Amino acid sequence: MRSLKILTDCRSPLLALLLASLAACGGGEPRAGNTAPGSSAGLKVYRHSMDESPTSLDPVQASNVYANHVLINAYDTLFSYQYLARPYVLKPNLAAGWPDISADTLTYTIRLKPGVHFIDDPCFPDGKGREVVAADVVYSLKRHFDPATRPQGAWLWQGRIVGLDAWKEAGSNYDQEVEGLRALDDHTLQITLVKPYPQLLDTLAQGYSSVVPREAVEHYGREFGIRPVGSGPFKLVSYDTARIVMDRNPDFRQEPVDLAAEGYDPATQGEYGLEQIQGRSPPFIDRLEFQFIADASARWNSFTKGDEAQYTTIPNEQIDRVLSSKHPITLKPEYADKYFYYAGTEAGFIFQTWNLLDPEFGYNEDPERQRRNKALRCAVIKSFDWPARNDSFYGGIGTVFPGIIPPVVPEFDPDLSRDSVTRDVAGARRLLEDNGWTASNLPVLTFGTTANVLNRLMFEQFRAWLKDIGYPPEKVVLKQYATFGDISKAWKQAELPWVVKGWGLDYPDAENTLQLFYGPNSSPGSNDSNWRDAEYDALYEQASVMLPSPERTAIYRRMNERMIEECLSATGLSRTRIHLWHKDVIALPDREIVGGFFLKYVDLKD
Amino acid sequence: MTETTTRRQSLWSKAAWKLRRDRFGMLGLAVVAAYFLAAVGVWLGLWATGWGDVAGGKWEAPSAAHWFGTNLIGQDIFQRSIYSISTAFEIGLVVAVLSTLLGAVLGAVAGFFSGRATDELVVWLMGVLDSIPFYLLVAAIAFALEGNPWSMHVAMISTFWITTARLVRGEVIKLKGLEFVEAAHAIGVPEYTIIFRHILPNTFHILLVQSTITFVAAIKSEVILSFLGLGVKDGMSWGLMISESTFEVLAGFFNNFLAASVLMFGLVMAFSIFSDALQDALDPRQVS
Repeated sequence: MRSLKILTDCRSPLLALLLASLAACGGGEPRAGNTAPGSSAGLKVYRHSMDESPTSLDPVQASNVYANHVLINAYDTLFSYQYLARPYVLKPNLAAGWPDISADTLTYTIRLKPGVHFIDDPCFPDGKGREVVAADVVYSLKRHFDPATRPQGAWLWQGRIVGLDAWKEAGSNYDQEVEGLRALDDHTLQITLVKPYPQLLDTLAQGYSSVVPREAVEHYGREFGIRPVGSGPFKLVSYDTARIVMDRNPDFRQEPVDLAAEGYDPATQGEYGLEQIQGRSPPFIDRLEFQFIADASARWNSFTKGDEAQYTTIPNEQIDRVLSSKHPITLKPEYADKYFYYAGTEAGFIFQTWNLLDPEFGYNEDPERQRRNKALRCAVIKSFDWPARNDSFYGGIGTVFPGIIPPVVPEFDPDLSRDSVTRDVAGARRLLEDNGWTASNLPVLTFGTTANVLNRLMFEQFRAWLKDIGYPPEKVVLKQYATFGDISKAWKQAELPWVVKGWGLDYPDAENTLQLFYGPNSSPGSNDSNWRDAEYDALYEQASVMLPSPERTAIYRRMNERMIEECLSATGLSRTRIHLWHKDVIALPDREIVGGFFLKYVDLKD
Repeated sequence: MTETTTRRQSLWSKAAWKLRRDRFGMLGLAVVAAYFLAAVGVWLGLWATGWGDVAGGKWEAPSAAHWFGTNLIGQDIFQRSIYSISTAFEIGLVVAVLSTLLGAVLGAVAGFFSGRATDELVVWLMGVLDSIPFYLLVAAIAFALEGNPWSMHVAMISTFWITTARLVRGEVIKLKGLEFVEAAHAIGVPEYTIIFRHILPNTFHILLVQSTITFVAAIKSEVILSFLGLGVKDGMSWGLMISESTFEVLAGFFNNFLAASVLMFGLVMAFSIFSDALQDALDPRQVS
């Protein structure tokens, strides 16, 4: 321990006293910055950097990847994803095994592992954590239908579970039973669906479905969002907007790692030293620290400094400096010597969508104007230069694809025509001219974005492309919003004609992106385009009750084509994330889908 | 004696003569004039019309086609730098003129009625506005005006007038005790006529110097505010260019930063030198 060594070397009693006082103030906490990672105070400490901090650790508000990273390490979910399998594969977690599913696929009977306990906490009698039972799962899911909790994940189960919506309508009384959500006994849960829901088990792997004890919610009240009491591999020590510290849960159930069952592929993952965790029970580290560093350069400096953050993604502006090749992605030797890396396509995409509720570009009382509006939308989409956008803002390593079924899901169609993502200035000009659009009668197009310099440049690039097709620059105006919350509100209220956003998949099924254009999901729901199409909606409803099959894939692809035909969106691009981590860390980091499940398996070399 | 030597020289002609002899001051003025010419060319649409166009590739090095290279999305940095001169002058002129005008009027009224309610009200207002941190005030005004492109101007004018007003108030308090003011009172000249026709013109040397100082302060503030995202909403400015450069320098690309910084430094330095020279030339103690 370096701090003790300094003390013993000290010649000045006054200085020694001062240092001793400082050491006492530290309370024996590991210190970042003056000790080597992983060896602080004899503890195994892993420091994980992220770009933002969660605003709440209450599972009902786990609406982003930052909250999920922390939550699923403090709580248990019935299911999770295999650590190393790509594409993502579900596995039982708190569930003892796969559920029994009735022949009509409407009733799921799930058994919980016995002997799993919540962490010790003052909310329990004598402060001793009690066993996790099926009633806790019922309670945790009910909370999403209690307006008092300000839930954000109810959409996952809305209209899906028998009696749950009615329970909410009746006043969300927790003592009142829900017909479709029952604890048959302490270790058996039964869920009855209104109609088949193939993605149900995926929803039970989300941070939203984390299992919480009622005692903690009632004991802490509004403070529950900063005092997680779960049965996960780690327990919270401290939480602020700069750092979250979690310690290993010493009572976490013993479940030795079976690498084969986790989808381990020695050919592609062999270099990371993952064999060292085979047969051992996680978690392997004593302390897990999340460092939230919004500024990319500061995050990069923290990572490269050597004794601070042990994980980061490469900032776009560093890509040319760090990579020796983009296709395939390889690091320059000076970085490859020090860091492991893994490059993966994100489970999501970025896109821009027309809001059809704006009569200048979408639905209009005048059928002729509505027809011309479609031509205008198509022309703008044709002006979009995806390769340039990729090169400027995503390091040139993103994957541009047509439509809204991204490459990461199995339903992706590699043979789909790329016309909708190919720039065609002449075609765009022709469309405008043929449909009577001139510089003088083109409507003002407002480009909304949050106030930062990169978003501003995206706007300027878009405006320049539109100028190429004859859209006067003065008619393409920027509207800046102070926060993401502000612009999100504008989207929900359908205020902007052109919505620029990204979507991260909640589960690896194209249904999760196709719902973005489903009519009933219109604003304030997730359908920002406010498109209502009879064929598309019928196909969505048909596919939503189907299990994965070639027939379902064909329906998904038809929906994708239908969306492209209507010129609803300039879409899309899936970013490639390059994860870097120090070579003394044994892990395969990831932040896609739910994100954060891997942290349980992180180990450090001795 | 010749006629020339017998004619009594005015304060202004003496100041002009002194200013012309100040070589650094004249150099500063020449540089400012060159910048102003560049700004006029932008306003007339003679150059830098393609500042918003994507004319090249990402982060191109300086070349014959792009003298200062290109930025992240391939825009010509030279054109953006030149366009930013017009932004600087537009903001500098509007803020300097209006804040000087406001400061002159309120300062003169307060000074003339010193010790009375009007004076106390103006002094109280100056104290209140002075006590609000400038950038906080700008953010508050920007929020109140809901992203209005003039919010930055309003914020600057609402604070920059205070220094001018304090100076003018002091000068007016001194002037109002002089004989020409007493004479005006004696023959029944209305008070506001005395203030604006007889006293205020005698503070012009202060206003002139103060307006040049305000001009420079406005340019610098605009750059800082734009850098922080509180400034220019549409168009281009050196502050926005420097803001762009914050992530570019990490990639080893400095053209945006250098172009904006050097051009801003040149204008601010030249204007400051000119302002100093003007102050020296108009200082009654030195002129006489």
